Amino acid sequence: MVASIRHNPAVIDPLSLFRNGTSLLAWRNLAHDRARFVVTLVGVVFAVLLMGVELGLLVGFARTTSGLVEHAGADLWVTPLGTTNVDIAGRLDERRRYEALAVPGVASVDKLMAQFGFWKKPSGGTESVSVIGFNLATGKGAPWNLIEGSAADLQQDDAVIIDKLYAEKLGVKGMGDTLELNGRRVRVVGFTNGLRTFTQSPYVFTTHSNALHLAGFADDLTTYLLVNLKPDADPETVRRALKQRLGQVDVWKADAFALQAQKYWLITTGAGSALLLAAALGLIVGIVIVGQTLYATTVDRLPEYATLRAIGAANAYLYKVILKQAVISAVLGFSIGLIGIFVVVALTGRSNISLAMPVWLIGVLGVLTLLMCAFGAVISIRRVISIEPTSVFQ
Amino acid sequence: MTIAHLDNVSVIYGNGLAELFALRDVSLSIAPAEMTLLLGPSGSGKTTLLQVLGCLMRPTRGEVSVFERSIRGYSERQLAAFRLAHIGFVFQNYHLFPTLRAWENIAIVLDVQGVPREEQRDRAMALLEKLGLGDRASHYPSELSGGQKQRVAIARALSLSPQLILADEPTAALDGKTGQGVAALLHDLAHREGCAVVVVSHDPRVEPFGDRVLHLEDGVIRDDVRRDNRG
Repeated sequence: MVASIRHNPAVIDPLSLFRNGTSLLAWRNLAHDRARFVVTLVGVVFAVLLMGVELGLLVGFARTTSGLVEHAGADLWVTPLGTTNVDIAGRLDERRRYEALAVPGVASVDKLMAQFGFWKKPSGGTESVSVIGFNLATGKGAPWNLIEGSAADLQQDDAVIIDKLYAEKLGVKGMGDTLELNGRRVRVVGFTNGLRTFTQSPYVFTTHSNALHLAGFADDLTTYLLVNLKPDADPETVRRALKQRLGQVDVWKADAFALQAQKYWLITTGAGSALLLAAALGLIVGIVIVGQTLYATTVDRLPEYATLRAIGAANAYLYKVILKQAVISAVLGFSIGLIGIFVVVALTGRSNISLAMPVWLIGVLGVLTLLMCAFGAVISIRRVISIEPTSVFQ
Repeated sequence: MTIAHLDNVSVIYGNGLAELFALRDVSLSIAPAEMTLLLGPSGSGKTTLLQVLGCLMRPTRGEVSVFERSIRGYSERQLAAFRLAHIGFVFQNYHLFPTLRAWENIAIVLDVQGVPREEQRDRAMALLEKLGLGDRASHYPSELSGGQKQRVAIARALSLSPQLILADEPTAALDGKTGQGVAALLHDLAHREGCAVVVVSHDPRVEPFGDRVLHLEDGVIRDDVRRDNRG
């Protein structure tokens, strides 16, 4: 049956898409030696997985370092002088808020507290947490991705909201649990989902006044001022005016402060470099594996390339065959690798590992995979160029 | 009209005391509609002469004209384009693509030439039919006999309607009867299609089919015999 299909010219070849000569040759060259093709694909898949996971972690970590800034809903941030990230900050006097309100273009200024604290677990032991106190009236700096309870429930003095991912770590079993934070009683009134922290000190959201109380701050202190602008105000102009008016503080546009936080945690601590290095390693491993297997395939097919050269095929025709082999390997390997990455993303979704795979990163991975395979093809191309067409007569 | 003309062509390997003449002052004209045999012992320069005629090798000295055009100033790229447009090759070991079916082996050459995709299959099939291989079109080379492979290779050489066909030992890997069949086919092509066919061979079975027989020895043409072989 198979033989009759194979030998009947009238039967439509499933590879009709490859009827272009270079595509057909490229595909047949790869498919002819299935074992080697599988090795190539495994290499590409492994490289895609490694690059994808490492870059996904990098993006995920970057998002966790700046998540609070990005979700606070402020146009500008006023921070204590020398602040390098949103998690660690000094103190600001509340009168700064009134000074800020007097600057032209400023519509509103909200206080935001961010201080580390010690969470006592019911089973014993303590965990470091990051207490975030926000203005309940405006909701600037409020928790996002709430899955249980509501921000309004924080009106009660001891109420806090934590993230479900860290509930077990903090010894919280469910809504209404009461525990101790900095030696004071707190009660869990809500849960967020997926608010990871780079410092691994989970966010504990509460009202600004309660946060002051928990941190032992005086009532006229805060850590940040969140500034929102009037509709027609120019952010840069207002930022400069605020800096000039307030003096010994830093004033950031929200996106600049988010970027600063990412830079601080990912570059200063070396965590980002390590992830980038691992991703680069994946890229190099991929280039080597694709390069080796493509080269082996090319060497096997040298008489055919020599025949093409003797017949009169231009070098570009031969390059196309080899590059298409690389592209086929890249597309198939990337597709399989991407499925693997989605599996890893799904598996880490319920852990405190932050692995993000936005659409743009998938695009970047696709381009990296194509480049990896193209670089892998370079040695083969160099080999093909060196073939003497007269070798077909030997 | 001559298809190819060599004027005092020498091909020298090495230099100084180590100089080795593969061809020495060879002058030769190849006419259309004629099958020319290049005979001679191993190392006599037959294959080198074929490579020079095929624009695959530039001579050390002398002038090569193909279709009355000197190839001296041609770049490698121009030579490749020239070969593709005018010259068909048949090799001793067929050099078919093992991963392509018989018709695809022909279509690939048409593809190199830029023949539209839709035409490639029809033209390949027509050539295979012409050479009696219509029913083998979808076979891979490994599924064909030696004679069938060589006929596919000849079909491939004919696919771009060349005016010059160069065949290197086309019957060497074939048994007696099949070898004679291939030689007869090449002879027939020269006379029917009007192209020039140049065949390098050791095979005495091929000799009766030559319209012209050149004997080479040490890079020199020792004998040039024409005979009426059109019957």
